[in-house]
Amino acid sequence: MIDVEGLTKRFGRHTAVDSLSFSVAEGRVTGFLGPNGSGKSTTMRCMVGLDHVDAGEVRFDGQHYGSLRRPLESVGLLLDASYVHPARSGRNHLRWLAASNGIGKQRVEEVLALVGLTDVASKRLKNYSLGMKQRLGLAAALLGDPATVILDEPANGLDPEGIRWIRDMLRFLASEGRAVLVSSHQLSEMSLMAQELVVIGRGRLIDQCSVHDFVRRNTTTRVRVRSPQVGEILRQMRTLGATGEYVGDSAVSDTALIAGVSMVTVGETAAKVGAVLHELSEVSESLEDAFLAVTADDQEYRSGNAS
Amino acid sequence: MISVLRAEWTKVRTVRVHWILVIVAMAFPTVVAALVGTFNPNPQWVYSRDLVDIVSGVGVVSLLLLASLWVINLTSEYSHGTIRVTYAAVPARWKVLLAKATVGTLVTLVVMSVTFWLAWFVGSTILNGRGASIRLGDQGVDAGGVFVSLLALAVIVSWFALGLGAIIRNSPASVVVVLLWPLLIENLVALALTLAGVESASKWMPYQSAIQAVSSADPSPDVLGRPEAQLYFGAVALGLLLIGGLLDRRRDA
Repeated sequence: MIDVEGLTKRFGRHTAVDSLSFSVAEGRVTGFLGPNGSGKSTTMRCMVGLDHVDAGEVRFDGQHYGSLRRPLESVGLLLDASYVHPARSGRNHLRWLAASNGIGKQRVEEVLALVGLTDVASKRLKNYSLGMKQRLGLAAALLGDPATVILDEPANGLDPEGIRWIRDMLRFLASEGRAVLVSSHQLSEMSLMAQELVVIGRGRLIDQCSVHDFVRRNTTTRVRVRSPQVGEILRQMRTLGATGEYVGDSAVSDTALIAGVSMVTVGETAAKVGAVLHELSEVSESLEDAFLAVTADDQEYRSGNAS
Repeated sequence: MISVLRAEWTKVRTVRVHWILVIVAMAFPTVVAALVGTFNPNPQWVYSRDLVDIVSGVGVVSLLLLASLWVINLTSEYSHGTIRVTYAAVPARWKVLLAKATVGTLVTLVVMSVTFWLAWFVGSTILNGRGASIRLGDQGVDAGGVFVSLLALAVIVSWFALGLGAIIRNSPASVVVVLLWPLLIENLVALALTLAGVESASKWMPYQSAIQAVSSADPSPDVLGRPEAQLYFGAVALGLLLIGGLLDRRRDA
């Protein structure tokens, strides 16, 4: 269990993290979302004492990180897979890390096998791809068999098989009762991986809830209807207070998207006016749509129009 | 603390460039002693004191190489970002710096001991084979004293290097400062002080005084005695280490 209370971090006049409070429960994968520059990585560094906080506190199962006698046995951490010495081998990277917390060499071999790096463990890290370094970083995070795992963009640089592997791994870790906090920009992946979300913007908490609730609260579910009498259905829906629009050219289109009423209402209305239905379905928006809608005012860097 | 020492020792022994620096540091005085022994045109006129001076003089280069190793061992953690992994694993940052200083001290003691006596043995064996008469117990030759003071200097320089590394946090800049400090920086400071009217300014340049005090020659009144010079330089080095530790504690990793 991670409890973050009123965390504040300033860099000069810039407040990177602003009175941020949230919690991460055991047995779930909690996604940590926010636009670039929203303070996710800073928050993670503050959580484990790498950056000094200006206010607030973070507790791991009731304890401050700095008071943990063997931190790796409580909190597994992957902040950046490139934090390795290129001239050292993967095995030796894990060995010094294990030694720092009194963890035996046997455990190093176990985590190497777990992440599939045994065969390349003697290679120097400058020869590792980003994906291999991500796996090594995850191995390092799991060295102490910790109750809490914090990972910053663990799927960066992984191929599709690797992404699927890390998703399964994180869900497995959570299923063992661990608290897993993971940040990622791959929102489609996050929607498959996480059960809970912490969403921040400009260093402040925007929302904490389940993925399902977040998408439901921040998107509009619409009803897609295809019928030769789609114009009549649209007119009836508008009288009920719904909004709707044709898909494509209204002069020829037989398809519309209707918002503000349920699929049942659309179906019953169509029956009343004697319309023939060729399609009636719900169209839900994605986590990406919900995220973009919620953080629209908190984007620090905006792209120009591609067109 | 033992586990942190183990981790730091593992870090030192698992990077190839560290071994290269140690091997070069060990080999350099031996090679120089062997060359002097082999090519000196008048070996019968080379005495114990001369060989001690050669070995201790070249040994200063070895300890500078070792100092570079300790600088790189620390500053590369900042350049590669591993300092964050280190401090996440060991949140008490002072333990990391203390462990690095301890490992540095122990390795320096072993390497410099082997370096000094290996060079002495090779040089004296070759010279004696060519007609010289060099013995450890020769009258007026304080080989043991020079050896101990060279060891002390090497250890102090390792702390000095580590302290500068913790303050500067950048490998090339730290190595340059460690190497140029006795050769350039202290000379410039001494010159400036002399021009300002300060008498015997070079006597109070800590690094140079400690290097001069290693020599087996009798100290002149213009330099500090051996223990005074080393205590003085030791205090400066520990001060730098302390400042480095305090800055490291205050800074974000």
